[in-house]
Amino acid sequence: MRKRAWLLVLALGILSLSLPAAFKKEDVKVQSLANGLKVLLVEDHNIPSVALYTFFRVGSRNERPGLTGVSHFIEHMMFNGTPGIGPGEFDRRMEFRGGRNNAYTGDDMTAYTDWFPPAALEAMIAMEADRIQGLAFVPEVFESERGVIASERRLGVDNNNDALLGETVRATAIMAHPYHWDVIGWMSDILSWRRDEVMTYYRTYYAPNNAVLVIAGDIDPARTLELVKKYYGPVPASTPPPPVTTVEPPQLGTKTVVMRKEAQAPSFLAVWHSPGARDADFLPLSILAKPLLSGESSRLYRRLVREEELAIDVGGGIAETIDPQLFTIEVKPRPGADLDRIDRVIEEELAKVRADGITAQEYEKAMNIIRNDFYRGLQTVAGKVNELGTTELLYGDFGRLFTIMDDYAAIKIDRVKEAAAKYLVATNKTVGKLLPEGGAK
Amino acid sequence: MRRFDRTAPALILAAACIAAALPLQAARQLPVPDKLVLKNGLTVYHLKNPDVPLVSFRMFIGGAGSAAEPASAEGAAGLTADMMMKGTSRMDADAVAEALDFMGASLSIGASEEYAQITGDSLAERFPRLLEIAAAVLTDPAFTTSEFEKERALGIDGLKAAKDNPGAAIRYYFQKAYFGAHPFGHLAAGTATSLGKMTVQTIKDFYKAHYRPDRAIAAVVGDIDRAVLVPLLEKTLGRMVRPAGPSSVTAVPALPRPQGRKLILVDKPDATQAYFSLGSPGYAMGDRITAAAAAMNTLFGGRFTSWLNTELRIKRGLTYGASSAARAWTVGGLMTVSSYTKNDKIGEMLDIVFDLLRKGTTEGFGAEETESARNYILGQFPPTLETNASKAAAYVRLAFYKRSFDEYDKYLDEIGKLTPPALKAAAATLLPREDFVLVVVGKASEIRPLLAKYGTWQEKRITDPDF
Repeated sequence: MRKRAWLLVLALGILSLSLPAAFKKEDVKVQSLANGLKVLLVEDHNIPSVALYTFFRVGSRNERPGLTGVSHFIEHMMFNGTPGIGPGEFDRRMEFRGGRNNAYTGDDMTAYTDWFPPAALEAMIAMEADRIQGLAFVPEVFESERGVIASERRLGVDNNNDALLGETVRATAIMAHPYHWDVIGWMSDILSWRRDEVMTYYRTYYAPNNAVLVIAGDIDPARTLELVKKYYGPVPASTPPPPVTTVEPPQLGTKTVVMRKEAQAPSFLAVWHSPGARDADFLPLSILAKPLLSGESSRLYRRLVREEELAIDVGGGIAETIDPQLFTIEVKPRPGADLDRIDRVIEEELAKVRADGITAQEYEKAMNIIRNDFYRGLQTVAGKVNELGTTELLYGDFGRLFTIMDDYAAIKIDRVKEAAAKYLVATNKTVGKLLPEGGAK
Repeated sequence: MRRFDRTAPALILAAACIAAALPLQAARQLPVPDKLVLKNGLTVYHLKNPDVPLVSFRMFIGGAGSAAEPASAEGAAGLTADMMMKGTSRMDADAVAEALDFMGASLSIGASEEYAQITGDSLAERFPRLLEIAAAVLTDPAFTTSEFEKERALGIDGLKAAKDNPGAAIRYYFQKAYFGAHPFGHLAAGTATSLGKMTVQTIKDFYKAHYRPDRAIAAVVGDIDRAVLVPLLEKTLGRMVRPAGPSSVTAVPALPRPQGRKLILVDKPDATQAYFSLGSPGYAMGDRITAAAAAMNTLFGGRFTSWLNTELRIKRGLTYGASSAARAWTVGGLMTVSSYTKNDKIGEMLDIVFDLLRKGTTEGFGAEETESARNYILGQFPPTLETNASKAAAYVRLAFYKRSFDEYDKYLDEIGKLTPPALKAAAATLLPREDFVLVVVGKASEIRPLLAKYGTWQEKRITDPDF
């Protein structure tokens, strides 16, 4: 297992087939408030715990040059004080009541994730409603948090060769669309965000009509809804944010990135433009990713790790995003491995898929993997909440969570070949190599 | 979708680590399982959970961990565990991988210090096949020379690649610096030097000596009936043969206790950030200090508003994360404090850390803080046992460490009664003042001057062999 650690974790999202019988669409109570806040509630008394997630329709997709990384910065600032609750108080009050939180920012969404005992429910709803109505952005705290983000970038990107190559390949493959930059943002932007610009950005995207609130666990739905109405009801709706209109232009030939950096081991990454999550070709490419890249029996793991011993590990898949993004094949090469040879092996395998598709056995394997992952994601209250929220944001309808099994089952095996032939082609490709320089070979 | 989280996994792991180090948990928290004893003596705990169509399997094999390795064969336990997945006499490595992947199931074997752990998860309808494969790799591993050569080469390259990521590499350097020649200083991954000297016979010998049903404890939790499970277990894990000789787990010697400051600086010239890990003796599994230690650690470095994270991240923006954690074994434990910051800030960061250690041991914690720690531990406990996998893991851990299944209830009762003096006493016992091991990885030319005031540093280059 230890070798698996070398790969970047790609959050490939909510793939699935069939739901646990115990969790049905009817279990989800839905209510939209007059101000546009959509509320999803699930009663589940398995453990004395509640998960409350708030999803905002904002991510790096909504940013622009100069303000790259700002969605993620606001995610951090959401814990740093409002006019009514001082910096750090959100965490202190929550932890005092036995709660814990985290938050994450992606390309398309920002999510605030709270886990707490039932007795803390009203306090948590009150604090969550408070922080969508205005943040203090205290200047000293603003500067301190800027330093935290810079450290996070140094940790996650600048001192991680695979991630550094990933960022550069992404920015090379995607020219025009805001997916061009990574969620963390460019260091020079991190160091120069202006407080007034950040505040404007916050006011644009943090409003009840741009959010989905999902609460599940040891709750009484009727009482919970009353509390939500009490605290969120008075929050005014805002002008809907502007749509993202940039469309990535077609790529007309393979792009190549070569980086040189002090390293013991090289890095390798290849990406192809791929369709967005709602596109008809998305599921066929998701299916393809399993026999091609998932597990030690996958085609590329066998070729690159087992047979030719060129790599330590292989991974990747299709990004599940609102707008078209990338299908990724990540390879952690053995030190000294011939990266061009790795590239040729990948091309040979893709040529087979384009010509012959996948086998019936591989198709069944993909479905088993997808189904297994799906059930595992729904084992916990927090897992259910996350799936409901992300599905609602990506597809505009949480109900898709309960039909996606049927959607997968409806994909004919030939569609995998067709999708591969359409997307995984040379004109659509960007390949990246990081070559070690200095240090020991 | 690439995603950036507000807090690093390390901080969450620190909390999980503490929970795992605790006297494990039970009754009100952990349902009492059925105890099944197979004809070969293997004990299997079973709990049926029909909520989702999944089944989890966990097994510990005592004494099959890295502490049992001969000093000359560091990494043998880990490599044996890896090699067991690489084929049996009837299925080659590719066939094993294909069979598991085809079902969407997972099966892995890994070695920690005191035991080897087998982890399996599958859809309920596939569980019989998963157990068959688990039994095959456990009882009939092929250990072929060609697979051995591949795994060893991968291991050596993986260790090399780890040096490109200082956040990962520091763990290896720290383990070596802290435990030295003690068996806990064996890296589970081995070192390039130790792996280079190993032969497939080393692996065969380790397997033969340590993979025994009479040292194993297993648990199955999920959507499966006892009536179905029992014959299935007999047919599969029941095939593990108990060797004729008595089981003799080599006793692990007492853990080293640092005397004075041991300071190690690892030079990584391209690092833009300096990483530190500071360690000192902790407490053994089941020690009476456990509950107080958990609450003390929660406040010191175990959660977001902890002292460490407040001073280093929240107030000063020096880092993305700062935390402390405890690990407990049968023979003793380890407390660690770790974080990272820009090269030019490492001195400021360490000064603050030492100041907090002094404050913890001399001033202790207030009543409101203590109440907050109690509430936090009690409130965050239920989700740690929510899944089949976490329940199965709890059963084998509790049984392995000879704790009862109501251990967690007792622990939480104790947590509920903790007072500030108990936390101060735990801090005085566990937080280091003068005797510790401190490892820093960073750009030496920039940070060396900032570190000089702490004492004499032994320097290594990241490109030097091993750790």
